[in-house]
Amino acid sequence: MSEISQIKSETLKIAQKYLPERRFLLAILQDIQRHYNYLPAEAMKTVAQYLNVPLVKVCGMATFYKAFSLTPKGKYIIKVCDGTACHIKGSLNLLSEIETILGIEPGETTADGLFSLETVACIGACGLAPVAVINDEYHGNLTPASLRQILQQYQGGIEDAK
Amino acid sequence: MQIIINGKTYAANPGEKILDVARRNGIEIPTLCHSEALPGLASCRLCMVEVHENGRTQYVASCTYPVADGMEVFTNSEMIAARRKILLALYNLIAPDSARIKGLLARYHVEPFDRLEADPDSKCILCGLCVKACEELGTNAISTLNRGTKKKIGTAFNEPAADCIGCGSCAIICPTQAIEMTEAEGNRTIWEKTFELLRCRDCGEYFTTPESLEHVRKKLGETVGNIEELQLCNYCKTKRAATRLKDGLHLDEYLDSDK
Ligand code: SF4
Ligand code: FES
Repeated sequence: MSEISQIKSETLKIAQKYLPERRFLLAILQDIQRHYNYLPAEAMKTVAQYLNVPLVKVCGMATFYKAFSLTPKGKYIIKVCDGTACHIKGSLNLLSEIETILGIEPGETTADGLFSLETVACIGACGLAPVAVINDEYHGNLTPASLRQILQQYQGGIEDAK
Repeated sequence: MQIIINGKTYAANPGEKILDVARRNGIEIPTLCHSEALPGLASCRLCMVEVHENGRTQYVASCTYPVADGMEVFTNSEMIAARRKILLALYNLIAPDSARIKGLLARYHVEPFDRLEADPDSKCILCGLCVKACEELGTNAISTLNRGTKKKIGTAFNEPAADCIGCGSCAIICPTQAIEMTEAEGNRTIWEKTFELLRCRDCGEYFTTPESLEHVRKKLGETVGNIEELQLCNYCKTKRAATRLKDGLHLDEYLDSDK
């Protein structure tokens, strides 16, 4: 199967968990984002057809929410909290440390496809400030040095180690 | 049903918006995102008026606010005049080339802001009128994309849109002429897609794209009367209709010549 038709059939499978009604557009896009870690163009076209929603409206929604990405995201998504507490406790230092190690700024993905970097405004764990979330793993009380260690673990393939 | 605008009483119909009643009676309310052909959008906020209703004072967008019996409306209260000035001065920064906004600035004696700099490249005030027009036509080729400071109007994936029929409605309806549409040598280019243009059957001027004509034909379906008349520009269509009317009414007997 070509990549395009594979995306199409996978997307359709995801979409068909919902009735073909416009109100489910957001939910379907969220599921697709979860599945691929981004929204492939072909998937958006398939959803537009399935729901009978104009393609440009799907693009409108997909570009409106920060939770969606139109380009492939890394295997690990690093979310550095830049809420007030984390900001004061030095989240900017964490960001520049990441930039030194991985060479990416918020919104970017490493060339090897391993990491994407994002900032979020308060994840509600101010007691642990400064915090970063890597995929669903919370890392608190970070310093540039401890963050460097954690990133090395991911680079070494943390899941294999588990 | 009656409403009071600026101290005078006017007849109004249930379901009408304040703006409709005001305009019908020649009361001036400035607008940018409004077109008589479309429902109100309440997005530019320039049509804001002061409403006194049930002992409460509100500032509402008159293009979408429905009339209620006995409601009192002020289109030029101190508050409204002040807010309108700020809005216009801000719009002037977002669309510094817009003749329409320049005109409103003069009309309402607005001093342009000098502490903020205008963006010389920006034209679109993001009112959404173009998107609404495209939506109502049933083509849905453009929409707002992104959000916040990156918000813009565009096609899906910023590519020439399969759904675009080149009708030009978005460019024509835009209050600030922000949408680029060019015509040259029988072609029209809009949203980076180029269309062939058709000539009017009567006068021979270029007037629309085959895709637009096909869209109209499909929409009218069985009800399409005279296909040939679809192939006329607006001017010639009106002319033919007027001629028919004239002939039907036997106006010739009253008119010396057809000048
Ligand atoms: S392009 Fe024109 S009509 Fe469309 S949102 Fe911008 S200003 Fe409004
Ligand atoms: S005309 Fe009412 S908000 Fe623009």
